[in-house]
Amino acid sequence: MTLQCVDARVSAGGRELLHGITATLRPGRFTAILGPNGAGKSTLLSLLSAQRRPDAGQVLLDGQPVQALGAHALALRRAVMPQESAVAFDFTAREVAELGRYPHRKQPTADEAGIVEQALAATDVAALAPRIFNTLSGGEKARVHLARALAQVWAPLPGGAARWLLLDEPTAALDLAHQHQALRLLRGWAHGQGVGVAAVLHDLNLALRYADDALLLAHGEAASHGPVAEVLTAERIARIWGIGCTPVRTGDGVLQYFFN
Amino acid sequence: MTAPRLAPRTALVLGLALVLLAFMAGAASGAYPIAPAELLRMLTGGVQDTPAQLVFLNIRLPRLLLGVAAGAGLGVAGALMQGLFRNPLADPGLIGISSGAALAAGVVIVLGTQWFPALPHTLGSWTLMLAAFAGGLSVTLLIYLFAQGPSGTHIGLMLLAGVAVNAVAAAGLGYLNFIATDEQLRNIQFWLLGSLGGARWSAVALVAALVAVACTAALAWARPLNAIALGEAQAALLGVNVERVKRAAVVITALAVGAVTATTGIIGFVGLIAPHWVRLVAGPDHRVVLPGAALLGAALVLAADAVARTVAQPAELPLGVLTAFIGGPMFLLMLRRFRSRV
Amino acid sequence: MSTTRRTVLSAALAAPLATWAQQPKPPRLVTISGAITEVVYALGAEAQLVGTDTTSLYPAAALKTPKVGYMRQLSAEGVLSLKPDAVIATTEAGPPVVLDQLRSAGVKVELVKSEYTWEDVRAKVQAVGRAAGREAAARELQARLDAEWAQVGQQVAAAKGPTPRVLFILSHGPAPQVAGQGTAADALIRFAGGVNAMSGFTNYRPMTAEAMASAAPDVILTTDQGIEALGGVEKFWQRPELALTPAYRRRAVVSLDALLLLGFGPRMPQAVREVHQRIHSS
Repeated sequence: MTLQCVDARVSAGGRELLHGITATLRPGRFTAILGPNGAGKSTLLSLLSAQRRPDAGQVLLDGQPVQALGAHALALRRAVMPQESAVAFDFTAREVAELGRYPHRKQPTADEAGIVEQALAATDVAALAPRIFNTLSGGEKARVHLARALAQVWAPLPGGAARWLLLDEPTAALDLAHQHQALRLLRGWAHGQGVGVAAVLHDLNLALRYADDALLLAHGEAASHGPVAEVLTAERIARIWGIGCTPVRTGDGVLQYFFN
Repeated sequence: MTAPRLAPRTALVLGLALVLLAFMAGAASGAYPIAPAELLRMLTGGVQDTPAQLVFLNIRLPRLLLGVAAGAGLGVAGALMQGLFRNPLADPGLIGISSGAALAAGVVIVLGTQWFPALPHTLGSWTLMLAAFAGGLSVTLLIYLFAQGPSGTHIGLMLLAGVAVNAVAAAGLGYLNFIATDEQLRNIQFWLLGSLGGARWSAVALVAALVAVACTAALAWARPLNAIALGEAQAALLGVNVERVKRAAVVITALAVGAVTATTGIIGFVGLIAPHWVRLVAGPDHRVVLPGAALLGAALVLAADAVARTVAQPAELPLGVLTAFIGGPMFLLMLRRFRSRV
Repeated sequence: MSTTRRTVLSAALAAPLATWAQQPKPPRLVTISGAITEVVYALGAEAQLVGTDTTSLYPAAALKTPKVGYMRQLSAEGVLSLKPDAVIATTEAGPPVVLDQLRSAGVKVELVKSEYTWEDVRAKVQAVGRAAGREAAARELQARLDAEWAQVGQQVAAAKGPTPRVLFILSHGPAPQVAGQGTAADALIRFAGGVNAMSGFTNYRPMTAEAMASAAPDVILTTDQGIEALGGVEKFWQRPELALTPAYRRRAVVSLDALLLLGFGPRMPQAVREVHQRIHSS
């Protein structure tokens, strides 16, 4: 039960954004997609979510090409949290989160409303539920979108297929506390529920703390893929980002870096 | 800011009550004096064949029903367009139905006798209606086809194409105005100002049937339209077939507004205001906005028509004048709210 | 009860009453078009008039009758609320649906076509006579008007001297138009012994300086309302399009009330006489 891209290439406007990326993501693991700006992280995520077709190569979910699965079938199994998403009209935060349950409208569970409430609570926006989404702050909006994504794949699938959460810079708008809370939550979903989580992150230390694996992109290519601490060596960081760093071990034994 | 709102069921019941109220008011008003007691007798089936009965059954009643159909059609189409364009300022005219119908009507009025002299004899007064209907649909089709890109219908392109095509249609109408005789000019003007005066039972039945189908069909797209409020990309990721939604919205709007405009001429602002008011009162969920806009649109048209028929008795004001008088200032109020958010 | 039954019944009732030389109630009339309203007053049948349209401005009493609106956009219910027996209008009245609705409500709808000849006036007199139930009075009026018309015609034919080139300007609004063939004004100019300075087109066209100059009218014919709309005769002559015309040099303008001039009603002989006299003397 994997989500893979095989030799995927994407070009746009005469430029090649991704040059033949091959990577396999496994459920039950939190993969951080890392790399400098313009490395192709969002493009890769859009391939994995089937939002975009590769110009060459394939994207496979459990061995089947994602394009063959159809939008509805995909929506039942994977949820995407966008980098930002403007919402037209004055929908409330609850209504926005509720939209995550749209794919399940034909076969609702016994407690649809309950799922939405729990999802809102999980991202700490329960108190904001009755407020108009467009009046919320950037961070609050992001957490509502995260709740929506969680709601979409809340219940385990009949047949036991893996669920997937794909997130494009989920922590970008969040404050310090909520950054940690969100990533902790995602890690819990990966380990506790066997959900496959892939998130584009910029903060290497957050990745080191919460992710299991790292997929490092540079110039449209996969520079490295493996356990996060193995991928993010000081030498590689210096090579890819051009910035020196000093490793430290925190009190609870997690590798982190001080940057120069 | 929290959102104090009416529950959907409450809102729709209120809407229905407004329609019934407006219907009653419309039934009781008009240049021809009909006593309320007599009215009640007529409505409860006491057939009498008095002149008042004839006036009510052949002139006032079809007009009222046309008003309901027109308001409902315009309201639901407005809601569909606003959902499609994700903008509360959208209205059915954006996709060219009104201008196409107006151009076709102008052609028939000015050039009809020259180009198709046989037509009025075969089709009679249906000529203008059918031409306007065909014109509206053709122009909308043109705009829709123009907006097709490699990844389906491009909403932005459709909007721009609509602007351009509307301008061309307006120019065409301008030219027709130029070559028209005085009589033809006045006829075009009155057609453009809109009126429920052309209500014959045959026409009303057709329009009502089309609008009923349109409203029913529209309801099926309520939840997908909610999802589309997140943006087309996000909606697709939720499993919405966005292309199908666009096509359905355009087709339903074209049929409903085309049929209405062909019979009544241009009635403005209803499609713009009705959905907005529903949203203000009951929230933006399309499951309440679509039916609510239909109900509120019907009530609006009935109320405006009742005023049109009584304020200048025994003459009547064109309906479009009244909906513009009410709608124009309302539109400005809406813009103020929108502006404070931008 | 159907309208045919009612008509039969009322006719049956009328027969014995008529033997007492009592007239059946005179038909109630709604007239659409100023000229037709004038005919009603000329016949002395104004007591039967229950409503007129907005173009019915003469005589002054007509202004006080209930107005059913503009002739091309009538309201069925509005007309019916006046309970007319007959509606007399020109073929310009509309919308057609409303006329149908009036007919199906049992109202007689008499339509007169405008050909811009003397026949128009005769047709209007006859139509009103029929609808008002005053055929005899109508024949009398017709005879009187025919005699007036014949007299004016002789006067015009006897006039000596060159035929004045006349141009008619219509100014409803900011864009004045000139009359070509097939208009009421064109016909009137001919009847009055002039020639339309504009030729080669039908209906009205916008006024341009070049067209005016090449037409070279000796006299401008227009309506009082038009002059008023422009702010008076002085302002009228300030229009640049007129500056190159012979009429401008002579300040030759003839203006009459619009309905009198173009209505093709019972005052037409009077209108023609006046225009004839004034275009020859200016």
